[in-house]
Amino acid sequence: MSANKNSSRSPKVGETVERFELEKAWLVDPVSGREGPGEIVVIDGVLESIVWLEGEDAAGVTDAGVVVAPGFFDLHAHFREPGFEDAETVATGCAAAAHGGYTAVALMPNTSPALDEPGVLHRVRSAASAGGSPVEVLAYGAVSVGRAGEQLSAMGELADAGVLGYSDDGAPVRTSKLLRSALVYAGMLGLPVVDHAEDSEMTAGAEANEGYVASVLGLAGWPTAAEVNAVSRDLAVFADALGDEPRARLHLTHVSTAAALDLVRRARAAGLPVTCDVTPHHLAFTDEWLAGARRWSWDALGADGKPRDPWADGALTAAPFNTSLRVNPPLRTVSDAAACLAALLDGTADAVATDHAPHTVVDKEVEFGRASNGISGIETALGVLLALVDAGKLPLAKAIAALTSGPARVVGSWPGVAATSAARSRGLIEGAPADIVVFDRADSWRVTDETLRSKGKNSPLLGRELSGRVLLTIAGGRLAYEDLETDQT
Amino acid sequence: MTTETEAAVAAAARTAGQGQGAVWHHRHLLDLDVVSWPEIELIMRTTDEMKGILARPIRKVPALNGRRVTTLFYEASTRTRVSFETAARNLSADVVSVSTATSSVTKGESLVDTIRTLEALGAEILVMRHSVSGAPYLAADVFGGHVLNGGDGWHAHPTQALLDLYTMRQHLPGGDLHGRKVVIVGDILHSRVARSNIWSLTAAGADLWLCGPATLLRGMDRWATAWGGGAIPGHGRFHVTSDLTEALRDADVVMALRIQRERMQGGLLPSLREYAARFGLTAERVAQARPEAIVMHPGPMNEGVEIAPDVAISGRAVITEQVTNGVAVRMALLYLLAGSHEAAHAGDVPR
Repeated sequence: MSANKNSSRSPKVGETVERFELEKAWLVDPVSGREGPGEIVVIDGVLESIVWLEGEDAAGVTDAGVVVAPGFFDLHAHFREPGFEDAETVATGCAAAAHGGYTAVALMPNTSPALDEPGVLHRVRSAASAGGSPVEVLAYGAVSVGRAGEQLSAMGELADAGVLGYSDDGAPVRTSKLLRSALVYAGMLGLPVVDHAEDSEMTAGAEANEGYVASVLGLAGWPTAAEVNAVSRDLAVFADALGDEPRARLHLTHVSTAAALDLVRRARAAGLPVTCDVTPHHLAFTDEWLAGARRWSWDALGADGKPRDPWADGALTAAPFNTSLRVNPPLRTVSDAAACLAALLDGTADAVATDHAPHTVVDKEVEFGRASNGISGIETALGVLLALVDAGKLPLAKAIAALTSGPARVVGSWPGVAATSAARSRGLIEGAPADIVVFDRADSWRVTDETLRSKGKNSPLLGRELSGRVLLTIAGGRLAYEDLETDQT
Repeated sequence: MTTETEAAVAAAARTAGQGQGAVWHHRHLLDLDVVSWPEIELIMRTTDEMKGILARPIRKVPALNGRRVTTLFYEASTRTRVSFETAARNLSADVVSVSTATSSVTKGESLVDTIRTLEALGAEILVMRHSVSGAPYLAADVFGGHVLNGGDGWHAHPTQALLDLYTMRQHLPGGDLHGRKVVIVGDILHSRVARSNIWSLTAAGADLWLCGPATLLRGMDRWATAWGGGAIPGHGRFHVTSDLTEALRDADVVMALRIQRERMQGGLLPSLREYAARFGLTAERVAQARPEAIVMHPGPMNEGVEIAPDVAISGRAVITEQVTNGVAVRMALLYLLAGSHEAAHAGDVPR
């Protein structure tokens, strides 16, 4: 490889990186918007110098080799602790995150017990520090007690304890009335409500995106209208809540349909401070994967721009009904995936968030309609976005921004978070603690039960080769992940 | 036996295959989507031989002597289960019968564990009925033998579609469905029978019409549109409509599906009375079909709802023939699956 790494001694995970130099890599700084050949030096955990190379020094360095970017920030992950430690723990989740290039994660509160009072947050924090990973663990509190949708959680106490915001994720905030109160009360505290937008009555019993694929497979349809309903409710309630509390904020997570993204686009154009994210799986996988297709969403578009028919063109290569594809919201159509990409490109979607949802074999090796919802995705997000980059659908800098500065700007727009370290810009900043990921676009890795650090092996990409092997992740100046298999001489 | 019978069956299967270039190579039968037309014809010819056996005074041949067939039914179904077990016994297989009421399923055992247990107990061919779409694919993924889908959720019921096809061929001149108008009336949305019939009847070249209240056709128009341009190799287009008169006009085959009471609770239908009034197959309505048209029903029937009692027992009705043919078709499939060799489907993805 074109880069050299010189360390006085290889540190262990959690230890300060005393010295690390990388010569001739491709640096991407999404904050300044600059990318190009360069060198970095880390001394005693600090990003001591960044040198942008020009002329002859830059010769041969391209964006197709080793890339240095700020560490990734995941706005939406499930580490399952406390309560579901057989699926994931904070420690294994952090290891998975670091393997995926992430240096910070925001965890959802659908644990058992739910994170609806500060005691649970303290448990998560102690698990994080006991784990020894330098990955920054942030957490949302529940909107309602026990996520039951009846009564507000201990919002003020949770804010004092340092939650990033509130969500009843896994389910939407149940009633419009409660959502309005939550937005206003959380707004008073300077924090957002992060909503999982789903009309749950309409999706009761649903198994797969309503459409051609679900019709053929005989799966109960999950209508687009259920997401559109919920997003329009959320936007209407949010506009109303802002009248009472201008600091109220709404973030819509894992928006998955073209129609719902259009609603967000229009609301933003009208000046509503709503933000949203899309997931790697809704960008790259589609409902035809349920029938056994395994091509990327963009490869399923014909030359005429219309989705191709997997039954017509021999795209069905795997067995149908694979439960690793059961996820909420469900994998949508090829057109919806294209709309998620368009939203990322035009800024309607502020960030890519993984909705990393690890599950045990017991919860996934069951009938499709009985399988738990969720994809283990924090380790494959980079590879999926790089597949979009490789296909020429997404500029590299935009992909990196969606994982770094994008989510940082979202949390920076939350008044109560703006002044904290969670909202730092996530650029490459000289003199700051090193918070970087180094990956090699010329090298790839195979997704297997063994290579995934997460306890959740529920990835539809198992067996697949992904480009962009992560070589090193440094979080806050400390080693988070180092690839020990690749020869780095 | 008639070694002579067994030889005849084997020869029929062989020559039928050779004649059409079809050899049975599927390890499992989960749906008809991956079964080619020559393979369907092979099943039909093998069924002819089985019908021959059923016509004898002693309906038993030793073709599957010593082979172990297990029926695993997660949904109550007397007729399908008895049909499979009769078919297996006619071929001299040892039959083990497992239903949810008698198994550890009620104690919370997972499907995968149940199947591993049945395999350890010696099951070679597993006939499975399940209420969740796709469940037999999970079974096929873990089971070392052959899985024969006896109906899964709303997804597929391949043996029903094959017995329907066999029955239609018996009644149509030359056994040819090409251009013949076949109408399926009822709750298409929730029907595995309809879905498997779409695969087989569009492959047979039939002019297939699906008809029912719009709430029970939901999503089927998308499927019909996708196939409208003849895009799917080996499968023709089909029609979806709520207009029963248009659907029945000059039909050669009219099939009614069972309407379930749950549809009322789900808000999909006002009442059974209203369904019967608008979509029930009455003698007057059936008269819109061709004079020689046959009337079918996969059973069990709600007489007076989806089909009038006089229609169900009329000379046009072939409903009891469907039941008899069901045994023969299932004998054919058990025979073909048991004879398929591991080597032929090494690395076979259960699709």
